[in-house]
Amino acid sequence: MNIIIIVLISLGLFFFFGTAVGMLRLPDFYTRSHAAGKGDTLSTALILLGCALFIMHEGHYSGASILVFLKLMSIIVFVFIGSPTASHAFIDAGYETGEKQWSNKKQAKKKP
Amino acid sequence: MIELFKLFGFILLALIALVFIRAIKGPTAIDRLICVNIIGTKSIVLLVFMGIIFKRLDMFVDIAIGYGLLNFIASIAAAKFYQHNKTLRPESGDDS
Amino acid sequence: MIWQFDVILLTLVLVCAVISLSIRDLMASAIVFGAYSFLMCLVWTGMGAVDVAFTEAAVGAGVSTVFFVATIYRTTRQSNYKRKDLFIRSFSAVVVSVVALALFAVIADFPYWGDPFSPVNDYVGSYYITHTMAHSNVPNVVTSVLADYRGFDTMFETCVVFVACIGIYAILRRRKKQAKAEDTAVKHVAHDSLIIRVASQIMVPFMQLFALYVVAHGHHSPGGGFQGGVVLGASVILLALAFNVKTTLKYLSEKSMIAYSAIGVLIFAGTGLLCMFLGGNFLDYSVLSQILPYTDEVMARSHAMLIVEIGVALTVMSAMYGIYLSLATDGHFDQGL
Repeated sequence: MNIIIIVLISLGLFFFFGTAVGMLRLPDFYTRSHAAGKGDTLSTALILLGCALFIMHEGHYSGASILVFLKLMSIIVFVFIGSPTASHAFIDAGYETGEKQWSNKKQAKKKP
Repeated sequence: MIELFKLFGFILLALIALVFIRAIKGPTAIDRLICVNIIGTKSIVLLVFMGIIFKRLDMFVDIAIGYGLLNFIASIAAAKFYQHNKTLRPESGDDS
Repeated sequence: MIWQFDVILLTLVLVCAVISLSIRDLMASAIVFGAYSFLMCLVWTGMGAVDVAFTEAAVGAGVSTVFFVATIYRTTRQSNYKRKDLFIRSFSAVVVSVVALALFAVIADFPYWGDPFSPVNDYVGSYYITHTMAHSNVPNVVTSVLADYRGFDTMFETCVVFVACIGIYAILRRRKKQAKAEDTAVKHVAHDSLIIRVASQIMVPFMQLFALYVVAHGHHSPGGGFQGGVVLGASVILLALAFNVKTTLKYLSEKSMIAYSAIGVLIFAGTGLLCMFLGGNFLDYSVLSQILPYTDEVMARSHAMLIVEIGVALTVMSAMYGIYLSLATDGHFDQGL
């Protein structure tokens, strides 16, 4: 059981590492929003799942630890509802203010 | 096992510091808003880690639920602000 | 206290504060200030102060940033910087540095962190910790100190919250007739987003249920009246953000907002007066065992603390809602952020 917990939390940290690198290196506001919205939510869900399994294993499946497990599951549900909504709100706001998209072409030449 | 959670918490904090560089650099205000949202979500995870390290998780999980519910109110408020005020950078161009 | 966490957290807090002060764009400054609140909550959790951390999470992360955004929406978006202000700023920097150096010199006299023989833990603190279960059967010492041993402070704090709400409302409230001539500068675009509306409709019942749980369970877990009231107020603010202000005013109108904030203070002070009528001192809860059925003096104090926390939650919820409406709608109470 300990192995499963360590694997889950390490996987969550790996995805969050991807989010952090994406936030630093991606060129445009829209692309950074992709990195933030998806990587953040998934890594949170995996890490919290690992913590929930750990606490249930530590408490020897008693009533109190089942309650804490259910509370942690409800946090995962709330993050799944709230965080993508916030990402949608960001991209909507960015589009409304007319933020330009990054393109791969050089500035000088434009296609006729 | 508890030592391992301290290590995980430290790695998580180091990654949050990396995301924070974007909050410092980010040319537009919505970049900073995205970083604040990420810091909020990871604060939930850090609160649970601290609960496990202090061996009193049943106390700390209530704060984590509260954070999970309140995290995106500020994001939605700021996003609605930009729907009304249609400029992303303020006028009379001074550096942000 | 985990020193590895604290090093990084305190560094980030410092960087956050410096950035928030040096950005010219006020909107970005307010957003970075929200991140400051998140990190301070983590610092306080690391010290073990869970009630304070919960309050900082609820107020700083949710409500306070929304207040800043609503104010910036109605006023300007950049800070003005004139050249001749430089002298004033350097003078105030010198004054602040001198005071900060004096304060740092005092830190050497503090007792060690967690010292059981420091004056804080010696006289009154240890009395409260050892006697709280015997006096009122409440394990959470923070709640019993707030609502029972230091009840006067909490009552006046509730009055302060009430006065703040009424004060902001009284200053900003305007009627339509004066405002028609001046205010056409800000265009109101009716932008409707289905996703935000549906997500808020799902989240708001859970927020309110959780807030009621926090108020009622304050005796055994971190929480209490103030934190539950702030989460309740934040849920109504979320409704006002997702829909428009007119719809939310149908659910919780202006008159009920004022009435609820007054009723909350009335519950708190009324409990104290009731104790006086029954023969005890003001806010001496043990005499309430005469009117509450099947309770002895210890349980009467426990139940009276719950009643008082409900009063605090009611006032704080209406105050948050009232301040948000006054700021975001600029006093007209028809359309807002």
